[in-house]
Amino acid sequence: MSVLASLMSTLRTVCSTLTGAVGFAIVLVVMVCAIFAPWVATHNPDALDVMNRFAAPSGAHWLGTDHLGRDLFSRMVHGASVAMQIAILAIGMALTLGTTLGILAAYLPARSERFVLILFDVISSFPSLVLALAVVAVLGPSTGIVVVIVAVTLVPHFGRVARSQTLTLKNAPFLEAERILGASWPRLVFFHVLPNILGPLVILASMDIPVVITIEAGLSFLGLGVRPPLASWGTLIQDGYQYISQTWLPVVVSSVALGLATLGFTLFGEALRDAVDPRIGREH
Amino acid sequence: MQADTARYLASRLVTTALIVFGAMLLLFTLSSIVPGDPAAILLGPQATPEYSKRMISEMGLDQPIHIRLWRFFANVASGNLGIDIVSGRPVWGMITAVLPYTIVLTFSAIFLAVITGIPLGIFAATHRGSVMDSILAFISVAFIAVPGFVIAIFLLLIFAIWLNWLPVLGTSRSGDWLDEFRRMILPTVALSLGWVGFIARLVRTSMLEVMGENYIRTSRAYGLSERLITYKYALKNACIPTITILGLGIGRLLGGAVLIEIVFARPGLGRLIYDAISERNYPVVQGAVLVVVVVFVLVNLMVDLSYSAIDPRIRHGSSGGGAA
Amino acid sequence: MADPVALASPLVRIRDLKLEAATQRGTAHILRGVSLDIGRGRILGVVGESGSGKSSLASCLLRLLPANMTRLEGSMVFDGTDLVQLDEASMTLWRGRRIAMIFQDPMTALNPLFTVSTHLVDVLKRRYPGISRDDARSRARAALTSVGIADPDLRLAAYPHQLSGGMRQRVMIAMALLVEPDLLVADEPTTALDATVEAQIVDLFESLRQKFAGSIVFISHHLGLVAQLCDDLCVMYGGTVVETGPVAEVLARPQHPYTRALLACEIDSDAQGGRLVSIPGEVQDPVAPHVACVFAPRCQHADTRCRAGVPPLQDSGAQRRVACLRHGEIG
Repeated sequence: MSVLASLMSTLRTVCSTLTGAVGFAIVLVVMVCAIFAPWVATHNPDALDVMNRFAAPSGAHWLGTDHLGRDLFSRMVHGASVAMQIAILAIGMALTLGTTLGILAAYLPARSERFVLILFDVISSFPSLVLALAVVAVLGPSTGIVVVIVAVTLVPHFGRVARSQTLTLKNAPFLEAERILGASWPRLVFFHVLPNILGPLVILASMDIPVVITIEAGLSFLGLGVRPPLASWGTLIQDGYQYISQTWLPVVVSSVALGLATLGFTLFGEALRDAVDPRIGREH
Repeated sequence: MQADTARYLASRLVTTALIVFGAMLLLFTLSSIVPGDPAAILLGPQATPEYSKRMISEMGLDQPIHIRLWRFFANVASGNLGIDIVSGRPVWGMITAVLPYTIVLTFSAIFLAVITGIPLGIFAATHRGSVMDSILAFISVAFIAVPGFVIAIFLLLIFAIWLNWLPVLGTSRSGDWLDEFRRMILPTVALSLGWVGFIARLVRTSMLEVMGENYIRTSRAYGLSERLITYKYALKNACIPTITILGLGIGRLLGGAVLIEIVFARPGLGRLIYDAISERNYPVVQGAVLVVVVVFVLVNLMVDLSYSAIDPRIRHGSSGGGAA
Repeated sequence: MADPVALASPLVRIRDLKLEAATQRGTAHILRGVSLDIGRGRILGVVGESGSGKSSLASCLLRLLPANMTRLEGSMVFDGTDLVQLDEASMTLWRGRRIAMIFQDPMTALNPLFTVSTHLVDVLKRRYPGISRDDARSRARAALTSVGIADPDLRLAAYPHQLSGGMRQRVMIAMALLVEPDLLVADEPTTALDATVEAQIVDLFESLRQKFAGSIVFISHHLGLVAQLCDDLCVMYGGTVVETGPVAEVLARPQHPYTRALLACEIDSDAQGGRLVSIPGEVQDPVAPHVACVFAPRCQHADTRCRAGVPPLQDSGAQRRVACLRHGEIG
């Protein structure tokens, strides 16, 4: 089956359950907002209009305005963009680093492998948010730091799966055959090992998206995440929270956006995993 | 104790020590990697020159890096976590003042999550495929997926602001038991909900797996009641994978506690760290983070140790008995 | 004095038992109309290869069927009660009281987190409600001794993983004897054990013949074992019974081609050289419909009649039955 055909069939399986379909729908909406933010948004998210603060929803401002008169709907839409950018960056980094370490660990001699595994253990048992706070305390908040920290905490996740998948594959006959035919080590890894282990890793990556969004939102909520003018949902929630006694709409809007997005990605990720191989991610 | 168990415990202890060591190393490194005067970083913009001088000699900030590293470890080992920049009080004292709040909140949340999540999980497993099972499954995912502080904010909005049933923020000023308790309800519930979903799903999956095992079939073959099978046998078997995964999630719980303390304006380690960051009060951040890591790692260790309490195979190692 | 007529009637009468299960490839016919009798106080050996349905038959006796089972038809009359018709609550009363089962793999059949004592005492308390803990423990101890376990108190306090395979199986047998059932079903009790241990367990079953008053169903794929232990023999193939009768009779004068082939397959240690005998072909796919003799594709005597319809299980001699249209013609 061609790659596209198998993708379509997986998608169909995902959407065959109610939760999978709902998840996919939400993911789709978020992605559209993220990619086409400037077009979906009605206003410039940073446009101040202080005279018009805390406006109620209207034809001009679909969800009203925040404490500085900025259009909530547009800020929410751009928040999707921020969330997805950070998620893709962080997961991309973690995937690359984790897969490399994982494959390496599968081929290394026992002692080095144990070292890598202990490293994974140590990183994954760390409370990531607290770690992030410590780093931010010294280096000051920045978007880059958020991305790096989240990426580091996800490395063991991918590393372990990459390692176990590679171990299973290592003894596969076709790899032996290639080796005998003289394939060099890098070639083996890139052309043969990698494509075969990529599947579960991609599923894992999609299941990690809500985790990344959550950590980043938490940090931004504390004011320690993305810096203005970049505004993630976490920032919006904090803004709304400060004025919660005056108006509940901003905080509710941004909270619902964050909650729905994480819910949608979680549902989708799980449906995806169940469609492909329910055993992924259960290894511990 | 068999050799297997001893080896297992030893490796856990080593990992634990490594984590604490790694954390300390990291915290120390953070304060050293920023170019410029380490004193400026640690002391912040508020320090007066005399104060700076005193701190520099106390913390050995003018010494070469390996001496500073040694001093750092020695200090921590002896319980000296430094001095708060703003007030001059020892960091350790500040931490112990607020630590009880965080611990009470976290443990209450765990307790609530366990007594709610486990029965829900059992119910879902024994009523598999029913409408309730599907509803519970969805609610579980919702609680797991939606970030804790979002749930906290919603709870705050609904119960404290709109309905005005429970007090809004902070801890009791009057010191009155009941008031304190009422103020704890929302934060505890907010922190625990994510875990309720997590535990319920975990228990459900584990129970279903266990119910399909041969030893449960034996119990059925001898006509033991479903009640006995579910609550005495299957539940105990299901606990093991549950505890494993629970242990892995403690990190998240701590992070959640920090945020929830801030949403509800409660004192605790989270607030302490947050305020310290805003004030650029690095010794406090450093000390508090260290304490968090240690507590956290100890809890993990306890979780690991609890396996041997439940699973006799770990206690005894896998060696068999005598002849047939 | 017991009524000889009652004694002569079988304890369990299974007639035309059909079991179907839903699988990915369609409906699988696990049992295609099984009929057999279990005599009172007798040991019935059920022999067949994998896929013959013998383990499913055991599960049917207890009505402990897998979740994907779609249909159970026919009758299993146990001392006057048709077990197929019973509702689940009533069936539960029979398990661990009148019927007890010994499973194939003793390691997975015992719960690793509970001691032998807990297993046995719980089973006893359910069988004899109101029994005291001390009474239960002493009975358990006695049962362990009776199955040849030397240090019962030590074993009572042990966990399953601390016992060897043979000892675990003895524990399972003790458990079954403790409830004093009318019928004991042993589903391949020695298959998972080493050869030396297997011999010891077989000896144990031999000694049970004297001590145990009820009937035993001994399921195995090992013809030699069955020959040694059992009074009656039932040969199964492809979800059906192909031949039954007293064991000595059936082994001396097999009537069904499959039984003959099975006997020929048993490796004769005295024979010099020659090829190993095997039965050509494969067991029929359980999803295939049942419209002819199940063994016909592999039978060297099969003819058009065999392929045209299902051969019924007919009387063919003193307490013997065979499901073969040509059994009288085959020399």
